[in-house]
Amino acid sequence: MRQKILYGLCLAAVLLLGRNLAVMLLELPDEAAQGAIYRIIFFHVPAAWTAFVGFFAALVASVIYLAGKNLRYDALAVAVTEVGLAFATVNLVTGMIWGRIIWGIWWTWDPRLTSMLVCWLLYAGYLMLRRAVEEPTQRAKVAAVFSIFAFADVPIVWFSIKWWRTQHPQPVVWGGGSMDPAMWRMLFLNWVPLLLLFGVLAALRMRQEQAQREMDALRRQAHAL
Amino acid sequence: MNFLRQSWIVAAKDLRAELRTKEALNASLSFALVILLLFSFAFDPTAEQTREISGGLLWIVFAFAGALILNRSFARELVNDCLDALVASPLSGAALFFGKCLANVVLLLAIELVCLPVFGVFYNVRWTRQFWPLLLVLALGTWALTVVGTMFSALTVNLRLRELMLPTLVYPLLIPALIAAIQLTTALVGGQPLAGDLLNWLKMLIGFDIIFTALALALVDTVLVG
Amino acid sequence: MDSRNFTFLVYGLVAAWLILFAYVAAVAARERKISREIENLKQILKDQKGN
Repeated sequence: MRQKILYGLCLAAVLLLGRNLAVMLLELPDEAAQGAIYRIIFFHVPAAWTAFVGFFAALVASVIYLAGKNLRYDALAVAVTEVGLAFATVNLVTGMIWGRIIWGIWWTWDPRLTSMLVCWLLYAGYLMLRRAVEEPTQRAKVAAVFSIFAFADVPIVWFSIKWWRTQHPQPVVWGGGSMDPAMWRMLFLNWVPLLLLFGVLAALRMRQEQAQREMDALRRQAHAL
Repeated sequence: MNFLRQSWIVAAKDLRAELRTKEALNASLSFALVILLLFSFAFDPTAEQTREISGGLLWIVFAFAGALILNRSFARELVNDCLDALVASPLSGAALFFGKCLANVVLLLAIELVCLPVFGVFYNVRWTRQFWPLLLVLALGTWALTVVGTMFSALTVNLRLRELMLPTLVYPLLIPALIAAIQLTTALVGGQPLAGDLLNWLKMLIGFDIIFTALALALVDTVLVG
Repeated sequence: MDSRNFTFLVYGLVAAWLILFAYVAAVAARERKISREIENLKQILKDQKGN
């Protein structure tokens, strides 16, 4: 039953993506200076949004874990962080490709890209920290505390890097406020399938984490006998 | 006994222990001085360049050297099960943590105050023009470094690869505080007064300190006791 | 549609989806590893019951 729900969500995501791609490529008006590459934004930006949804979910899961010590929430935390990190990678890579074409450089200390990089480092650190602790309860505790610290840092990083970069000359950034309403719609419309994918992957990963934990317990039992 | 008195006792113990052997202090201080000199050889900056990078250079030195001291903070209690004894004592986890932070801040500030004149001499920089604001920034930045570093020392105390984990986890978290401290230090070393744009950075640094101190004090009991 | 930079758009989209597929592949690989471990465990438990 659960499997069917997951497949259903996946299918919905794929269908929506297909439809979006068609609309994106065929119908939407063009942006004056950039040519076709600007359409990457419909994946670049929603990927960032999805990543932050993941990190926020990790925060909530971590807090709930610390409050109740229910290891299910630890499994949830690692699942959403991993998937969030995958989407953050998508955001960074598409951003770099876009930057290479538009600004001519692979990397720049643009506030948003830099903040995302720092978040990426933080949550990659989270995953690394988890690997360093073997005992499940201790691992969950340590990881939860780090997740809370990491998320508390996210808005501060965002503001500090934004202030930092406004003091330095930057490449001209496209598209401040005004964007064609059709584009905004597409942005949100493309976010939906990404969120669906996020949900499916996180559910899968969470189940794996729980299975892994049960198996480690069983193995300890088997070897003890 | 109240919180501050408990913290003071822990801080005094840590400082006394460190000052008797001076192990970490010497290692950290030598490391800091060596990096300072190495950068001077590696980049051989002109006066103009030095003015631009002074904040970055100093805070990188402080962050790296500080990691040596912060790493040991809780790790030194592992020997003879001292950590278990401390946790089992009537000392609250928060007081233990705060006391260690106080001790670490004192040690780090001492190292920084030695580094500054050395920096002035070898890079030909007159850094004393805004002495008291610079000291304020040093204190605030060091507090940020210490709070996060000590917290993660507690978090990673039982892990293998502790020495590797601490820098990897702590430095990304500290980026906002480091950026603020660097901006402020570069400006102050260059003689600018603490005004205008700089006040925003100061506010951010203070905000960072408050938020992370509060978070750390709230979570440290969970970390130490479970 | 304006087709300047179209190839780069394709690169970008391919990169985005490659990353997601790489992650899905990682999840699948983990799934296989878990199944293998389950089989192993079942074997060990059966052997023990036999003893």
